[in-house]
Amino acid sequence: MSALATFRESYLWYSFKRDKIAIASLLVLVLLFCSAIFAPLIAPYNPYDPEMIDIMNSEIPPAWEDQGSREFLLGTDSQGRDMLSTMIYGMRISITIGLGAVLLQAFLGVLIGLFAGYHGGRLDAIFMRAADVQLSFSYLMVAIFLSAVLQAVVGVSRFGEIAVPFLILVIGFSQWPQYARTVRASVLAERKKEYVEAARVAGFTSPRIILSQIFPNTLSPILVLSTIQVANAVMSEAALSFLGLGMPIDRPSLGSLINSGFEYIFSGAWWITILPGVLLVVLVLSINLLGDFLRDVFNPKLYKG
Amino acid sequence: MIAFVIRRIIQAFIVIFIISVIGFAVKQSVGDPVREMTGISVSAEELQEFREKLGLNDPWYVQYVRFLGKAVQGDLGNSFFYKRPATDVILEKAPATLELVFVSSLIVILFSVPLGVFSAIRPNHFLSRFLMSGSIVGVSIPVFLTAIMMIYVFSVKLGWLPSFGRGELVMIGGWDSGLLTVDGWLHILMPSVALSSIMLPLFIRLIRAEMMEVLESEYIKFAWAKGLSNRRIWFVHAFKNTLLPVITVGGVQLGVTIAFTILTETVFQWQGLGFMFMEAVERSDSPLLVAYLMFVGIVMVVVNTIVDLIYGLVNPTIRISGASS
Amino acid sequence: MRKTTKILFAILIVLLMAGLGQAKTLKLAMDADPVSLDPHVQLSGGMLQYSHMVFDPLVRWTKETTIEGRLAERWERLDEFTVRFYLKEGVKFHSGNELTADDVIWTVNRLKSSVDFKGIFEPFAAPVKVDMYTVDLVTKVPYPLLLNTATYIFPMDSKFYSGTDDRGMDKAAIVKTDYSFANENLSGTGKYRVTERQQGVKVIFDKFAGYWDTSSPGNVDQIILTPIKNAATRVAALLSGGVDFIMPVPPQDMDRIENADNVQLVTMSGTRIITLQLNQNRVDAFKDPKVRQAIVYAVNNAGIAEKLMKGRATVGAQNSPKGYLGHNPALTPRYDLNKAKQLMEEAGYPKGFEVSMIAPNNRYVNDEKIAEAAASMLGKIGIKVNLKTMPKAQYWDQFDAQVGDIQMIGWHSDTEDTGNFFEFLLMCPNKETGYGQYNSGNYCNSEVDRLTIAVQSETDQAKRIAMMQQMEQIAYDDAAFVPLHWQDLSWAGKKNLQIEPIVNVMDFPYFGDLVIE
Repeated sequence: MSALATFRESYLWYSFKRDKIAIASLLVLVLLFCSAIFAPLIAPYNPYDPEMIDIMNSEIPPAWEDQGSREFLLGTDSQGRDMLSTMIYGMRISITIGLGAVLLQAFLGVLIGLFAGYHGGRLDAIFMRAADVQLSFSYLMVAIFLSAVLQAVVGVSRFGEIAVPFLILVIGFSQWPQYARTVRASVLAERKKEYVEAARVAGFTSPRIILSQIFPNTLSPILVLSTIQVANAVMSEAALSFLGLGMPIDRPSLGSLINSGFEYIFSGAWWITILPGVLLVVLVLSINLLGDFLRDVFNPKLYKG
Repeated sequence: MIAFVIRRIIQAFIVIFIISVIGFAVKQSVGDPVREMTGISVSAEELQEFREKLGLNDPWYVQYVRFLGKAVQGDLGNSFFYKRPATDVILEKAPATLELVFVSSLIVILFSVPLGVFSAIRPNHFLSRFLMSGSIVGVSIPVFLTAIMMIYVFSVKLGWLPSFGRGELVMIGGWDSGLLTVDGWLHILMPSVALSSIMLPLFIRLIRAEMMEVLESEYIKFAWAKGLSNRRIWFVHAFKNTLLPVITVGGVQLGVTIAFTILTETVFQWQGLGFMFMEAVERSDSPLLVAYLMFVGIVMVVVNTIVDLIYGLVNPTIRISGASS
Repeated sequence: MRKTTKILFAILIVLLMAGLGQAKTLKLAMDADPVSLDPHVQLSGGMLQYSHMVFDPLVRWTKETTIEGRLAERWERLDEFTVRFYLKEGVKFHSGNELTADDVIWTVNRLKSSVDFKGIFEPFAAPVKVDMYTVDLVTKVPYPLLLNTATYIFPMDSKFYSGTDDRGMDKAAIVKTDYSFANENLSGTGKYRVTERQQGVKVIFDKFAGYWDTSSPGNVDQIILTPIKNAATRVAALLSGGVDFIMPVPPQDMDRIENADNVQLVTMSGTRIITLQLNQNRVDAFKDPKVRQAIVYAVNNAGIAEKLMKGRATVGAQNSPKGYLGHNPALTPRYDLNKAKQLMEEAGYPKGFEVSMIAPNNRYVNDEKIAEAAASMLGKIGIKVNLKTMPKAQYWDQFDAQVGDIQMIGWHSDTEDTGNFFEFLLMCPNKETGYGQYNSGNYCNSEVDRLTIAVQSETDQAKRIAMMQQMEQIAYDDAAFVPLHWQDLSWAGKKNLQIEPIVNVMDFPYFGDLVIE
């Protein structure tokens, strides 16, 4: 077991060293994640602090443009917020939601996938059918439903405070079938193997077999899937916020920033939409490239689609 | 086969039933349709009376039972905004969305098949490498961003293409088609390209991966050994086997595509179902919302069923469960 | 075969039109299309705009906010209850019927039964027919605003709308959510008839050959109305030549339109005041006038007007815009951050407090951004604001339920009179009388109430003005609400349109009078 892990690790390391794209995307990703984590230290302004926002500074173009100002490197938005800081904080929210949603998906999906795959039968059939139905309904519909329910429960005026957990919930809930299917596929493959038989004969309980024997073997597909899913979750959040169903405007994510700038794109203030757009693409792209690299290395059987 | 179809139909009903229950349970909180239909200075009493008249004051399950009774007879209620049966409105808006999905599927098929096959046959060709890295970039750009950029470049900066709507339409037997006029094609170009921008890279990669896997198989090796021509092996033997998983994924992706029509139609003000849906949300036109969700549910089940049937036809070794007996 | 004939026919028509050199088409893009063909189904700007195209009112507002006769040739006040209207003779409806006093009476009665209009027509008693072309409008109490209200009377073809239709339903029924005869059929006296309508997609208006007003310079024979909800898309459509005329124009694009070669921009300061209400029932601190004043001093409404509205709004300090009788010229905007902080300290809240705020995001121009800006301005005096914005369909419910401590509302006076603002926004909320229906701040001042009721039946103009200006003064001193601005009205179109003469402060361009060069 540990020998296998070591082998994989070394192989992983070996391929990684030779893959320039993977190195570059990891570097970019580390940079982006660090700036998100240390946003309060890195960002020149705090976009949530009203003291630092002055409406009279609104729509200043980036510093390199004619009317740009050195104070605001990437310009300001319509509220007079520094774009660079707002984008860094926005990315922080996007990443938080992306990671949170994937953790939730993985938790639900792995659990369901393991048990459904191991036990088979009726339970399996029900879960997989539910997964089919769930997958055919996109997260958008689920989100619209859930947002309506939640707003009714907590009251509209307090919705802003729970927007982040809410989005995590929505994206997490709507994507668990991806994990369930992938994990189930590997469980089905593992279940017939001798070591599982051996464990069963030795009298281990099934939860124990599942967790200690089968689960570790499903890790590599989970890892690969997770990278793709983080990218997907970030994109989903952006789409929801773009439609006005996501983050509120005073705590914008990258998606809501793009949305709020959309009205301005024709009037010349392109930076309010384009800059967060570019950041979003760079973030998603570097995650995807890394995922692609991992997929090539592990070559797992993923559920297609 | 028949047993399978019947089971699917039952399943469809269950799905639609669940959707309608959920839709009903939450429709109250989407907003108050009454406020949307009256001027602002109407008194509170009048509003209350109007709500009473529409039956909106009853608990949701009472409203639901009433709705169900009518739904069984094919009446899903009237859209508040359009003042017509919701099903009529949906049928009227469906052609716009179907044409959009059709054209973008056409784009996906026309480009992904040759490009995917090519990059599988010649994995080291510079074009293949370019396609692979390009497709990753493609998947990473959100649809709405693609759409905004296209409007900015082609409509605002260059002024080549119209930025909104469907253009000139021709009515044929109740179907409003934009595909019969030059103007209609100019209008559909950007939305359909934007819509296909996510699916195309996905399918290129998928076809490539599947094709490469097939080319490694014993069966193809045997065909080489038999001395069949390259072309025959690639396009007849290998490609046929590649199709199977592609069809399955295509079915699953339909759900995603429908979600993306909401985004694309919103940006391009495309008068289809997605646009109608967002407007219905904004206007809290709840009968239309519930009807739309049920419609989407039906489409999903139908498409999944067709995909499964095709799958069974193309690959007879896979038995559709329920048909084996 | 059929297609060829169609094409030939089309060519023929084009040739004919070219030969006459007359047919002028206006491609018009607005944010929404009429929700129905029945003018009484909803009281909204869009429906009144539509009414001006296919009907004619008895009287209408001019550009100078005076009143001019349309179907009423002249009128005279008989006593403080009654105004006599003399109708134009020989006016034909689209159906061919002739307009008579009966149509006016029928229409007023229908208005009084309409959910949306009955409030405005509440003071009215049954109209009295004098002769075929003369009718008396009578009010139950002395009513100074009778003429203002008459701008809402667009006489309908009573013969056309009476009886039962082929489904056996009353043709006169006003139905909001279902089929009705009036929702789908139309006969007015207006310059245009609706010849094609696809709701939410387009409406085609064609000139009515028998239109009575032959003295109008207007030369537009056909109007194609396309609703384009997204403001940016609407502007793009105008600039790319897809449409000829757009309304409204988003402030952020006005400069660009002004600088463009083939298009022109026309703006006019508007009369809709955008305000924030501070709910005294929800937040104890708001009961203290000092806190309310501090908030008014903290909100840089001039900055909002200049930056967010791009200078396309008039900064406000009261409800009544300039030109209204109640406009008090002494009241000026009061942004002063230091003063605000000082007031907060005096009120005993040096560290501030936390409140919630709700605002719509698709109702007023830039409403969401304005709310956001106001929220961060309050942050500067220590009031932390949790803001939630939502589409208007959800908003009014929440507004009524008063879920936010601060709530945004914009108000336009239906009667073009100061009293209306106070009746709805500032009188003590009273479920029985219906006053203060939109007073979610729960501001209550008996003096304001007394004055507001008094001006309703005060027919002495000078006294009314003094009273209404005093009302504004009290609200100002009490900081009863936070006034932001009156948003400008805006229209844009190709250069060959004579837009200036047809627009007015009511935001109903009179397209019948539009000249295309």
